[in-house]
Amino acid sequence: MSWSISAADHLRAGRSTPTLNAMNSYDNKHTDELAIEVRDLRRTYGDVQAVRGVSFEVARGEVFCLLGPNGAGKTTIVEILEGYRNRSGGEARVLGFDPAIGARALRERVGIVLQNCGVQRDLSVVELVEMYGRYHIRQRPADEVIDLVELTEKRETRAKELSGGQRRRLDLALALVGDPELIFLDEPTTGFDPAARRQAWSTIRSLCELGKTVFLTTHFMDEAQYLASRVAVMRAGEIIALGRPDELGGRDARPAEVHFRLPTAWSLGDIPELPALSRSIDGDLVLVQTTEPVRAVNVLTSWALEHDIDLGHFSVTQPTLEDIYLELTGSADEPAGSTDHESTTEEATV
Amino acid sequence: MSTVRQSTPGPIRESTFGRDLSLVGWQIRYEQRAYWRNRSRGIFTFAFPLMFLVIFASLDKGQTLSSRGGIPYDDFFVPGILAYGVIAVTFINMSISTAILRDEGVLKRMQGTPLPRWAYVAARIGSTSVIMLAMTFVVLALGIGVWGVQLRAGALPGLIVTLLLGTAAFTSLGIGVTRFMPNAESGPVVVNLLVLPLTFISNIWFPTDSLPDVVQKIASFFPIKALADGLQYVFDPRHHGAGLNGSDVRTLVIWSVIGVLLMLSFLRQPQGEVV
Repeated sequence: MSWSISAADHLRAGRSTPTLNAMNSYDNKHTDELAIEVRDLRRTYGDVQAVRGVSFEVARGEVFCLLGPNGAGKTTIVEILEGYRNRSGGEARVLGFDPAIGARALRERVGIVLQNCGVQRDLSVVELVEMYGRYHIRQRPADEVIDLVELTEKRETRAKELSGGQRRRLDLALALVGDPELIFLDEPTTGFDPAARRQAWSTIRSLCELGKTVFLTTHFMDEAQYLASRVAVMRAGEIIALGRPDELGGRDARPAEVHFRLPTAWSLGDIPELPALSRSIDGDLVLVQTTEPVRAVNVLTSWALEHDIDLGHFSVTQPTLEDIYLELTGSADEPAGSTDHESTTEEATV
Repeated sequence: MSTVRQSTPGPIRESTFGRDLSLVGWQIRYEQRAYWRNRSRGIFTFAFPLMFLVIFASLDKGQTLSSRGGIPYDDFFVPGILAYGVIAVTFINMSISTAILRDEGVLKRMQGTPLPRWAYVAARIGSTSVIMLAMTFVVLALGIGVWGVQLRAGALPGLIVTLLLGTAAFTSLGIGVTRFMPNAESGPVVVNLLVLPLTFISNIWFPTDSLPDVVQKIASFFPIKALADGLQYVFDPRHHGAGLNGSDVRTLVIWSVIGVLLMLSFLRQPQGEVV
């Protein structure tokens, strides 16, 4: 399956999609609109096809998220775009550059947060941020970046004495100190406790306010939901769905579910006529599926008040991104959104 | 949540060679800080040779070497330990630390920055050279000040050339040998297997003049004996020239070339595809 969806569609309707021919040099006009373009990207490791013909575009200022279970090919794609891996086929452009060439001008403009990537352990936070800042012609003041990732208290602490979450924030600081236009975040909150994840999310959101483009991979549903302007769901090296988190897999068009408990004195037939696709009862638990939840709930609650019925556990739910995701990736047995997920292993690295 | 000033997007001017050179200078400073702060590495590479120097030179004080025309034993031992010290801070330090940087992903991270790879390698080599100079200074200060070793001014060219060639050979070999270390934990093992046995037949701890010819021949293929012999030639009171021994210089040059080729083959591997 191959997808070709213009990232810029909802941002700049009516503009023609730029072509991919020969753009090895910095091209202002082109990079003004698209941060990343990928066409039919492929990568094989021996006989294993880790990426099987993936196409997408990322507009400037977007937070684009690759979502998928471990081993779906996310890290292979992000490392191809970062210039760490070669592609076996297809085309890729990052800020107008071919990432396989690894131009210095591209590295000046891109910030990278890798998975499990060390730093010079004997240097302090401020020394490291200054050191990595120096490599860039355009750089942010070290202390500003340290404040941004909330490591001010650990400014003088050696890298080897930082906790896991602090190390991850240092990673982010080192990616930001060069004032990049595009930031790659490969599973940035894996191993974080809930509070640290919230902090990281607010930092990432603040990047978007600065007009940065963020390319994110994650296997956390809530992370994609909260951060991404668009999500590409991957399974087995392919993108199987791509869209805004609230529209993904037709989520916005799915029926809502109304649940409540019906006292034993009443039966399903007593409930009045209401706009529903279906109604069913399991024990005393009633399920109503409806595309008009407001009307349906109004009818139900009016009826209940009129007869003084207590509808216990009354709830209205839309299918969550997780429902859609599990349906799409067909891996209900693998809870890909669980926060206690310890494993950070990723990819078929052969 | 702290607020961040808006960045100034737009074209970035290109770096100049002068700026890149100053980056190398800065990087040497950071590498220096990192080296001297790491206590275990400092002990393993810098303090060990000095400890051997103090122990052995004190034991051997006043003895002479009959196999070398009765020269003071310290004139043999101090340059021998200097050779070992240079090997420790170049080859041993460089190979073990490079394997750690590779395994921890630091090399991969560096590859993603705008710092050119040549500048990073130059800084690592430059920093190692600074440590080598410190080692030379301490060993010579102790050797001359405490054990009365003589350094003729006329032999200075020999000392400088031999140290430069030794540093070139052992630094490049140190980076290159990382290719053959499957992981950082095997680093000290691989390095000691390569270095320690050879030191016993290479005029480091004791004179190997009386060893069988074939053993001496084998040792003379390798750069450890060439560096030790070259430095001992400089301090040998029986010599009066510039302190340069042709065969030792030749061996060190050959190993420098081998080292540089090995180093380049290691550096050409893209870090992302390694793991």
